Amino acid sequence: MAWIEFEGRRVRIEAGDTVASALFRHGVRTFTRSIKSHRRRGLTCLTGDCANCLVRVDDEPGMRSCITPARDGMRVEREGGVPSVERDLLAALDRLHPLLPVGFYSKTFIRPRLAWTVAERLIRGATGIGRLPTGVRPRISQVRHLHVEVLVIGAGVAGLSAALSASEGGRSVLLCDEGEPGWLVAPGPTIERICSLAEAVQRAASITTLWHHAAVGIYEGPLVPLAGPERLVHVHPERVVVATGALESLQTFRGNDLPGVWLGRGAARLAGRHGLSPGRRAVIVAETAEALEHLGALGSSGSKLVAVVASDEIPAPTAGARVIRGGAVMAALGRRGVRAVVIRTERGSERIACDTLVLSTRRFPRDALLRMAADLPPSGEAVVGAGEVVAPGCSLDEAEQSGALAGRGEAVPISEPPAPGLGAEGLVCPCEDVSVADLERAWEEGWRSSEILKRYTTATMGPCRGALCGWALAAFARARGADALASARTTARPPARPVRLEQLAAGVHEVVEKRTGLHHLHVSRGARVDWSGRWKRPFTYGDWRDEHRAVRERVSLMDVGTLGKFLIGGPDGRELLERVLPCRVESLEPGRCRYVVVLDEGGYVMDDGILCALGDGRAYLTSTSGGAERMEAWLRGWADRWGLRAHIVDRTSALGAINVAGPRARELLSRLTDDPVDASAFPYGAHRHLTVAGVPCRAIRVGFVGELSFELHHPRSRGFELWTALEQSGADLGVRPHGLDALDVLRLEKGHPYLGQDTLPDDHPDKLGLGWTVAMDKPWFVGRVALQRMRELPLERRLVGLELDGDASSLRGMPLALDGRVVGRVTSCALSPALGRSIGLGWLRAVDGGFPQVLRAGSAQARVVPTPFYDPEGVRVRA
Amino acid sequence: MLLIRCPWCGPRDEVEFRYGGQAGISYPSDPDALSDEEWADYLFMRDNPKGEFRERWVHAHGCRRWFNAVRSTVTHEIRATFPIGEEPPA
Ligand code: FES
Ligand SMILES: [Zn+2]
Repeated sequence: MAWIEFEGRRVRIEAGDTVASALFRHGVRTFTRSIKSHRRRGLTCLTGDCANCLVRVDDEPGMRSCITPARDGMRVEREGGVPSVERDLLAALDRLHPLLPVGFYSKTFIRPRLAWTVAERLIRGATGIGRLPTGVRPRISQVRHLHVEVLVIGAGVAGLSAALSASEGGRSVLLCDEGEPGWLVAPGPTIERICSLAEAVQRAASITTLWHHAAVGIYEGPLVPLAGPERLVHVHPERVVVATGALESLQTFRGNDLPGVWLGRGAARLAGRHGLSPGRRAVIVAETAEALEHLGALGSSGSKLVAVVASDEIPAPTAGARVIRGGAVMAALGRRGVRAVVIRTERGSERIACDTLVLSTRRFPRDALLRMAADLPPSGEAVVGAGEVVAPGCSLDEAEQSGALAGRGEAVPISEPPAPGLGAEGLVCPCEDVSVADLERAWEEGWRSSEILKRYTTATMGPCRGALCGWALAAFARARGADALASARTTARPPARPVRLEQLAAGVHEVVEKRTGLHHLHVSRGARVDWSGRWKRPFTYGDWRDEHRAVRERVSLMDVGTLGKFLIGGPDGRELLERVLPCRVESLEPGRCRYVVVLDEGGYVMDDGILCALGDGRAYLTSTSGGAERMEAWLRGWADRWGLRAHIVDRTSALGAINVAGPRARELLSRLTDDPVDASAFPYGAHRHLTVAGVPCRAIRVGFVGELSFELHHPRSRGFELWTALEQSGADLGVRPHGLDALDVLRLEKGHPYLGQDTLPDDHPDKLGLGWTVAMDKPWFVGRVALQRMRELPLERRLVGLELDGDASSLRGMPLALDGRVVGRVTSCALSPALGRSIGLGWLRAVDGGFPQVLRAGSAQARVVPTPFYDPEGVRVRA
Repeated sequence: MLLIRCPWCGPRDEVEFRYGGQAGISYPSDPDALSDEEWADYLFMRDNPKGEFRERWVHAHGCRRWFNAVRSTVTHEIRATFPIGEEPPA
């Protein structure tokens, strides 16, 4: 025997039970409390279309119990209510309704300001939304992509038939449903039709089915995400058939939200599928032929039919119930649930005792998906409706016919939904406790269109997403004389059905974590590793000042394997570089290297790196860590455009790189290599092949940190070997690694800007003081024309070196002011350990044709000084 | 999401590609002769048609090659993709 645990009690479950049916059998009638007035709410639709049955299942809030299959061992609790849903003291709020006017939030607690901060806490606490689960383990959700020719949403009669006809000729079809075919349909002709169609679908080879997957929305493409129990499925169909059916309308009368008021199909489901009778004495409102089926189901479940309020077209039911023609429900009376209804006929009002009121009313399309699709660019033929969603109230034959046409891509007959009648009392929107009277008050206050009424009253904004109330809201505006636009249905937006947050986050592939081959080594050395662009890089190994000192005084290692690295060859390889780079490429001799900036066509600095001329006519080019992908695409783009035969090989992930920097770097290297590393054989600005500790390296003598340094580019797989050899043999030299925190200060002392941090997208080299990297005497290179034109204009902005008072290490981002006017901004700053004073970089606007020299950065004085700050002659780096 | 046919790799998901803007913008034969307005026009101004648009895409997470596409800006339908320097099928 199977059980669920319900608020500390054990509740038996039977085959085919949902959580709702099990609880109902157990005697639960109040499932939730309404959001504002804390009115009791019970089962209503049993199709997942209202907000009345939301419970917490296994700590997950807001689960629709009526479409959640009950499983052994589930923990179920009701939510909201103080102290509980059953005995809720806040229900007194219902009587305070006149004090909580419509537009409450917009009218109350405006002054004093502080009142709202206090009130909001109380109000949020009082509403029955539910608690967020705490202490849950994060769940990673996956996205699956499916490409099919036809997607059919909804496995009712129309949907099944659409899938069958769409699959003719072997077209690939995906059929999905929030549940399963016939899952919740009471015995009768409908379920028989569904079963026979479902069997045919099962046999059709080209139809794939996905049950328990609800369509969340329709996006451009079309793209239809389906929320399943495990994952989100992105379906990319060529055509979509929406067969989501229709929903009975909740008539408006006083007490229309009391437990015991049912939509007809809901009551029939409870009786026919779960064998439970909704109540002992039932009154049924029969507006459709289907009402007779509901009547039958109720009768066989043991409910006594007291009265049938039938419109004239409905034939008299055979059972012994009394038939009232031409009547209308005026009110449902009762506190905990329905105890009587008031029916008005021409002969007057009559009170009938009962505990169940079944509304087998006219149906309105569940058309949220169709309305979303209508606003998309390729509207029309790609997304069509079939069955009741376009022809509410149609017969089974008509639904099957309609599905068959839609499946084949042919036109489907469409019929107008019935005009909803609106009573004078009762709730229009049960989710948000909005009554007819609230809408009337809002209208009187001047909110006179459906969209604005929605925003002011919050009608249609609850969990049912307007399924029950959207029609009534529009009808209200129309009845009051609003024109077509002002009484239109409000915009439908995803999600049409609930979707979990982790499913929305699923498949966000942007967060790709890149690591160098030395990642684990850094972690084992105690590094604080964090994001740097898409890379995870060490920021410090404990004390950045100590790391800084190692670079300036001894020798230090840094993992620079994140740099973009490209090998450029082919017959036109050099020609390509000559045309795209602003420096002289031809004159760069094999064995030499050069700092290069890369300009876009507008003459703006896009990236920078090191260019090495190799002996065989090829070149090796590095880029910044974040710019590698763009650099490669950019080079290829130009090569294609000019038809150059150039090969560009991305070596970024194949090669690692370790920068060995500091006055004793040469001493360390010479211990591990037989190749000459002395200044005459391997001077600054050169690159050589070195075998270091047995590892073949391309060593590059450049210096971002301003000390003697060798950048060792090596096969990634040998990085560990190389790093540990350097560490071990440099132990007596005091070697230690440095991370990005130390680097930030080291490069700042040399006045090197970080592209992207110290620069703006429209900075040309002159603005950055990098004019020397550009060979304007070259006849052509990418960006030259623009640069030449810009050079004719006065420089309006410039990156400058700054010297600041006191400890300015936290002034990054601070505006630079001249006589109280903001004329620039600090982009980098630090208290330099090497210099013992605060330095920075910042951009500065020209003032009256010149650049001011003395400014204020917050409370500190900032003086413009030349860069580099440290070793301005570059003696150390050339050592 | 679009399904884009790379001329070298076949149909792949949109996430594998990067967009490269309008295709077929030819470099001015004598840029020095252009006025500032004409030069800025070449550099910054791009067509924005409602309908078919010729544009560049790069298969960034695949073969990494550029190609041209003819896409409808109304329906997103990609009528053709073809290598740089070729003409789309009529
Ligand atoms: S009764 Fe479950 S959503 Fe309406
Ligand atoms: Zn490709």
